[in-house]
Amino acid sequence: MELGVVRLNRPYILLSSVDTLYNWRKLMTAYRRPQKSPIPVLERIRESLDRLNEKMDVVIEIQRHGQRNSQSIPDVLDVMTLLSLPDHLRKTAVTLCKVGQATADEIAKQTKRARAVESGYLNQLVLMGYVKKERRGRKAYFYVEKES
Amino acid sequence: MGNIIALHSYKGGTGKTLLSINLAATYAKRNRNICLLDLDFRAPSLHAAFKAEGNGYWLNDYLNGTCDIKKVLVELNPLHKESGRLFVGLANPTTEAIREMSARDRKWEMRALGRLLSLKTSLFNEMHLDHIVFDTSPGLQYSSINAIVSADVVLVISSLDASDINGTQRMTQELYDLFEKKTGIIINKVPAGTLSTISKKEELLEKLRSVHNLPIIDAIPCFCDILEAGGTYIFAEEKPEHTFTKILNQIATKIEKF
Repeated sequence: MELGVVRLNRPYILLSSVDTLYNWRKLMTAYRRPQKSPIPVLERIRESLDRLNEKMDVVIEIQRHGQRNSQSIPDVLDVMTLLSLPDHLRKTAVTLCKVGQATADEIAKQTKRARAVESGYLNQLVLMGYVKKERRGRKAYFYVEKES
Repeated sequence: MGNIIALHSYKGGTGKTLLSINLAATYAKRNRNICLLDLDFRAPSLHAAFKAEGNGYWLNDYLNGTCDIKKVLVELNPLHKESGRLFVGLANPTTEAIREMSARDRKWEMRALGRLLSLKTSLFNEMHLDHIVFDTSPGLQYSSINAIVSADVVLVISSLDASDINGTQRMTQELYDLFEKKTGIIINKVPAGTLSTISKKEELLEKLRSVHNLPIIDAIPCFCDILEAGGTYIFAEEKPEHTFTKILNQIATKIEKF
C-alpha cells in the first residue's frame, strides 16, 4: 500500500492511497481557512529556522574543533580573551558584556547587524564556553555571568 | 548621556594623572558635573593630589563587589561658585591593597570589567554627570584594558621618546582599534623649542599624524613650573592664565567635539 507523508508543523499524518485524495483535500481546506493573522505563523517559522540555525552552528563548530568536551571547564570572558577573539565575535562579546544579558535580537539592535547573524555568533561563544544560554519560554537569553 | 574619557599611555610618567586632574578641573570650571576615578591600582595617586583620605571605601571595594560606587565617591569643594560638581573615586594606596590587586585572577578581572561597564548607567543616570574621567595605569594590564573597554573616548598621552611613539603605535593597532574606540593622542612634555613657532608646531603635529594615523589633539610643552609645583596644586584652578591651563581648555573643547 502506498503511503504519503505530510508534515505541517503537526505530528506526521499518514495517508493511504485509497483515501489520500479525500484526506488531502480535507487537510488543505482546513489549512486554507483564513487565519487571524499571518504574523504568529511567520513568527513560529522564524523561531523554527533560528533553532535549526543554532543546531547547524553546533555541527559546524564540532566539525571545526572536534567533539565537544562537556566536562571541560568554561573559559573566562575577560579582556585578554576579548582581545584574542576574531573581530566579529569580539563585537558581539563586548556588547553582551555591556548589557549583562540579552537575546540575539537585543544584541543585534546594538551592533546593527542581522539578528540571525548575532544568534550564530552568540551560539559560537556558547560553544567556546565564554557565554551561557538559557531558554525562558520562547526566548533564548545569553549572558556572561549571572550577578549573585 | 555623558561620556567616559580614559587617559592611557604606553609608558609610565607621561603625565596621565596631571592631565586627568586638570582636565576634570577644567570641565568642572565650565559648570560640568565630573567624576574622576583613579584606576591605577598599582600606583594610586589621586589621594595625594587631592590630599583626600577617602571615606573608608575605595574603588578596590567597588570592583570587589563589596560596596556601591556612591560610597566610594568623595565630593570636592569647588573653588568657584559657578563650578560644576567634582567627585573623585580613590584607589587604595596601601601596599597590601596594591599587592592584592596585582594578584587577582581572570574571573575577578572579568567581574571587574562588568562593574566598570555598569558605571555608565549608574553614574550618568543617577548622578547627572557630564563626564567621567578614568586615570589608568600604563601599558597592557588588566586594569587599564578594562578601563579602555568601558570608555567612550581614549586619550593616549605620549612623549616624543622613540620607544613611547613605537609602543603607542602598537597599542593603536592591537588595542584601541580592536575595541573600536574613539582615540586621540596628546603629546606631552614636548621640548619648548620644538613648539616655538606655529609652523614648527604644525610640522610636528603633521608628522605625528602620519606616524600614528590618529587625530593628534594637541602638543603640550614641558613646563618647569609644573615640575616645580610637584603636584601640590591644580594648575587649571589656581593658575587660570598659565599657558598650560589655556592649552588644557583647548583640549577640553576638542574632546567634547570629538
